[in-house]
Amino acid sequence: MATFLIRRLIQMFIVLIASAVVSFVLLYFAPGGPMTGMRQTQQSGRNKISADDIARIKQRFELDLFVPYRFTRWLVGFPSGPVTIAGQTFLADVEVGCKIPAKVRLRYPDGRTEIIEEGCEVPITYANLVDRRTSRGILFGDFGLSQVMLRDRPISTLIASRLPYTLTLMGASILISIAIGVPLGIYSAVRQYSRFDYTMTTVSFVGSSLPTFVIGIICILVFAVGAKEAGFIYLPPGNAVSNKDYVIPYIGEVIASSTLDRVLHFIMPLGVLVFVNIAGYSRFIRSGMLEVLRQDYVRTARAKGLRERTVVLKHALRNAILPFITLLAGVMAELFGGAAITEAVFNWPGLGRLLVDSIERNDYSVTMGLTMVSIFLLLVGYLITDILYSILDPRIRLS
Amino acid sequence: MWCLYLIATIYVLSMFASVIAPYKRDAISLDNAYTSPFSSAQDGSYHVFGTDHLGRDYFTRLIYAARVSLTTALTVTTVSTFIGIVIGLIAGYFGGFIDTFTSRMIEFISTFPTFTLLLIAGSIAIQNGDDIPIPALLSQAVGAIMAINEREGKQVVMIMVIFIALGWTGVARFVRGMVLSIREQLYVESSRALGASHLHNIITHVLPNAMPPIIVAYTLGLSGSLVAESALSFLGFGIQDPTPSWGNMLSFANSYMFNYPWMPLVPTLPILICSLAINYIGDGLRDALDPRVQVEVTRSKRDALLKAIRDRSAAA
Repeated sequence: MATFLIRRLIQMFIVLIASAVVSFVLLYFAPGGPMTGMRQTQQSGRNKISADDIARIKQRFELDLFVPYRFTRWLVGFPSGPVTIAGQTFLADVEVGCKIPAKVRLRYPDGRTEIIEEGCEVPITYANLVDRRTSRGILFGDFGLSQVMLRDRPISTLIASRLPYTLTLMGASILISIAIGVPLGIYSAVRQYSRFDYTMTTVSFVGSSLPTFVIGIICILVFAVGAKEAGFIYLPPGNAVSNKDYVIPYIGEVIASSTLDRVLHFIMPLGVLVFVNIAGYSRFIRSGMLEVLRQDYVRTARAKGLRERTVVLKHALRNAILPFITLLAGVMAELFGGAAITEAVFNWPGLGRLLVDSIERNDYSVTMGLTMVSIFLLLVGYLITDILYSILDPRIRLS
Repeated sequence: MWCLYLIATIYVLSMFASVIAPYKRDAISLDNAYTSPFSSAQDGSYHVFGTDHLGRDYFTRLIYAARVSLTTALTVTTVSTFIGIVIGLIAGYFGGFIDTFTSRMIEFISTFPTFTLLLIAGSIAIQNGDDIPIPALLSQAVGAIMAINEREGKQVVMIMVIFIALGWTGVARFVRGMVLSIREQLYVESSRALGASHLHNIITHVLPNAMPPIIVAYTLGLSGSLVAESALSFLGFGIQDPTPSWGNMLSFANSYMFNYPWMPLVPTLPILICSLAINYIGDGLRDALDPRVQVEVTRSKRDALLKAIRDRSAAA
């Protein structure tokens, strides 16, 4: 067990570093960033932006450093200045970036001239890094600064402001759907080919083959738009709280950002996620149960004269639930990652939408932070699953 | 079976889009915007499914979009399944170092949150479209199939490449598992003993026996990529506007749903019908194919379900 844990942790670490490299490289090639808007402002001619301004902004977002240094500073917060060993400073003069690039005028044979940036006029050395904001590095939980969405503010504030919404939505939906989906799956497996089973299979088949956003939009059409037209109780179509009071038939006036208001906003996204999850979970449990119920040991248990209830819940379920645990490996990542599409449809201000927004607005430091978090949580989820699996199923040994 | 006919009919009809479509695909007329279904626009032209916010005929765009969406899904699934089969076969059949290497790689790729990666890659591909080298022949061919111009074709090709790059791992893992168990069967061993080559063995023994579940996985993958493409386009990172796709039509319609509630329904219906129909085919195939070992079927069914649920929760 200990060797297994150590090996897995080392493996996890390697995967984490590798995925950090991949996501960094991917986003390094991505267009846009904090400089895009600046250049456009400058083109308008009124607000001339000096080379100093550009250098300052670049410095703030570390865009003036060479890529390997940017990467290591982002990952572990190193280097943060010259290395001092026993009173001696080393590396103080080594260049790590370029503050102001040198401009070279090219003259073509046909008379055209073009100014390109070539080489470096004012380099940055280790010594310059001392007075910069020191990030502790993403591996130690410091995400750095947001570049576009919340200029200059730490990404952790951005995430912290969205986290509660995602946690409540995902947490509630996962709990409710396990609580409902698992019993439904068991019941329809036990009563295979009954009317209940047929209804259940059809509904969950439809639920698991429709895309979430389609279900979401149909829900909004029915419960928000349609119900409002018809004068029934309707649900607010999007967002987590409303910003002004509104009246709902039969319920009365709802005061903005009161508990009732929040609950009303919560129902629809929750309902959609629960429906989709239940469809998946119950189908999964059903097929697992069907397989187990056919086994000899279940027949033996029945032959011993055990009550049907004990046979199903103790002998069959314990074996059928095992693969379900692998399914839950992703749950932790899901819990914090949010559901991007559902959140987009319902305008829910969670982390999933933050991810979509950050990609849309080219705020890559936010994207990278969120990606790293979800990869990390997924890895932790896999690890926990493996351990749980070996505890619940003595046949499996970790090695 | 009628589901298969339905999908085939839709696809074949979309191939004759230029004949069937009553209007030009991108013919904008702002006066005719927001015409409701089954009614005439201000200038008297009749629109079966109404018009969108720019007055483009919905029916026409739906047909062209079927061409784009279905072709994308088909190509993506076919190519990634093919790559997956080849890699999975090699890894599973030969084992050893190759197997360890590929399995590690597949594991590594699958730790990435697929949907996030799709979003990022999509946004990069859209914004630097012109810098990404794509063979002109390829984008022209795709453009010809989908009745779109070369530039739009290039964009679609990029989206397809991203999907394929991330999509083959599931099939490869699945095929590898199948091959591992088939390889140990006596008939493969005896064929080896008779002096058959590895290639002969793979083609005549391993592949045909692995085929039924692969076909099922292919069908389900088809609906998966159809949904994923429309989700990506819905969020604005997939196929971009002048090229119609059910996803991006829906994303525009979505913003007008409070004034014109019928609008999102129009592109929703085909997505709904197609994903249901394809899933139905997959489900039927799964029950019909390979009745030999019942337990094996339920197990593969469960694995497929597990994968489907994982994919969903990533794309929820």
